[in-house]
Amino acid sequence: MLQIRDLSVSFGRRRAVDGVSFDVEEGEFFLVIGESGSGKSLTGGAILGLNPSGSTRTGSIRFKGREMLELPERELRHLRGDQIGIVYQNPLSAMNPVIRVGDQIAESIIVHGKGSGRAAATRAIELLERVHIPDPARVAQAFPHEISGGMRQRAMIAMALACGPSLLIADEPTTALDVTIKAQILELFAELRRERSLTIILITHDMGVVTQLADRVLVMYAGKVAEVGPVETIMNQPAHPYTKALMLSGAMSDAPFKSVLQVIPGSAPTLDARPLGCRFNPRCAYAQDDCRATMPSLRPIAGSLAACHHPLVGFRHSELVA
Amino acid sequence: MVVLSWLFVLMLVCFAVAPSLIAPRNPVALDILHRLQPPSFAHLFGTDEGGRDVFSRVVYGTRYSLGISAAIVLSAAVFGVVYGALSGVGPRWLDEILMRIVDIFFGFPALVLALAVAAALGRGLTSVAVALSLIWWPGIARLVRGEVQRIRERPHVEAARAIGVSPTSLIWRHILPFVMQEVNVRVTTDIGYALVAVTALSFLGLGAQSPTPEWGLLIRDSQDYFGSAWWYLVFPGVMIMATTAACSIIGDSLASHRESGVAP
Repeated sequence: MLQIRDLSVSFGRRRAVDGVSFDVEEGEFFLVIGESGSGKSLTGGAILGLNPSGSTRTGSIRFKGREMLELPERELRHLRGDQIGIVYQNPLSAMNPVIRVGDQIAESIIVHGKGSGRAAATRAIELLERVHIPDPARVAQAFPHEISGGMRQRAMIAMALACGPSLLIADEPTTALDVTIKAQILELFAELRRERSLTIILITHDMGVVTQLADRVLVMYAGKVAEVGPVETIMNQPAHPYTKALMLSGAMSDAPFKSVLQVIPGSAPTLDARPLGCRFNPRCAYAQDDCRATMPSLRPIAGSLAACHHPLVGFRHSELVA
Repeated sequence: MVVLSWLFVLMLVCFAVAPSLIAPRNPVALDILHRLQPPSFAHLFGTDEGGRDVFSRVVYGTRYSLGISAAIVLSAAVFGVVYGALSGVGPRWLDEILMRIVDIFFGFPALVLALAVAAALGRGLTSVAVALSLIWWPGIARLVRGEVQRIRERPHVEAARAIGVSPTSLIWRHILPFVMQEVNVRVTTDIGYALVAVTALSFLGLGAQSPTPEWGLLIRDSQDYFGSAWWYLVFPGVMIMATTAACSIIGDSLASHRESGVAP
């Protein structure tokens, strides 16, 4: 359904997203994981043609056979909200504070000509009910600041679903929420996917999300794909040292107190100070001379694709716990 | 102070709307026998060289002084908002052109430019209004442009774009309502400053002409009698000062209330 090839998002000469390629299949729950600044949100925005002013995109994004980077703004506008929905990290700032929740959901319906006035308002209430908001008629009349964070995120999801898109991009939708609400929101995604055969791209830095829901995982580091593969492989046999380090530092659910929290030494490189060769090499325990000289490209390693000169072979997640 | 300012402005609005109900006397009728009388119950603000009641002249003058000031700022605001919004959301080359034009206006000393324009158009309140509107809009346009550029980077604007909202509706529904908060503050404060400018031009002889009871003109006429009739100068002066102060105070209070209850 979505084929991304060699996508780059640049600010001037600096490439925040640098040659990213991946596919997302119809009905898939696809996870994009990375630290802040890894380019994961920019990648999500690029799919909708929404990137910050001053940035340029190159490469190819094909959505249902159409080249998104070549579509004129008018056509993109018809796709946004209608075919592709997006849910943002902080619903309080992503919603217009002076428009009632119901009207904001209705706006999407009206914009795409799928009903006007009263019909759209009724539909908005149905959608709020659909995302399990109690008393949806009252919430529709409320302003965003009058409802709780969890409710707001549900309302955002209702907004994204208003026109029945086939692809939903969720950009760190649970970061601003507490743990119990987070679980509920993730459950809602899983449910929507089952019932609507929705394709979901979830962008997160939260490793805890991985196990429960996703089919495949893409790990991004410093604007590049580090590893991409099925969730079991990524979880249990990570080939890239960065993926392994992420798993270790993520305080995994099956080993909460047994092991000391592992941290990745150093910090992710900034746009201006990326190392030569593999971008992870200064922080990598396995780095050798070739890692410092040439950038590895993605290649198949034990069930996944990894960009690493010296992939970890035979590494098992269970060893971490022991 | 804020309440007091609102009451004062409310009083001025009453003066401007229905001066005949408030002013005890005809503002232009001469009464030579009672010329230059000090303030008394019969003449609250005293009388001028023609025996006219200064209080009545001040009341009638509100319509000219404050009315014209408000008209200047409001017309400048309407034009400035459209101009600034265009500059703020338009392509970069358009923004460049529009802002360089604003720079040209900022390059001149504003009041001198207004003076020149008003003089070229001929004496009278209309030319003062035109001249001041002409120098007033660039400030508002620049403010609006900056605000538009600030607001349009907000997540809710991107979220609106992400559901396919058209550029026009983006501006009207998702950007301008937030910009208007700043514009309201600016307009309120500016009406006070415009009043100073209008009365200054009248004081210089370019604005209202005798016997129009405009505040600046009152002060101009009072100069010759300042030594013997202080009230003639002081009361219109106090009115100008108090109005400007009230506008500033109300503007400040609006500024401190904007965006309350809304996350940045």
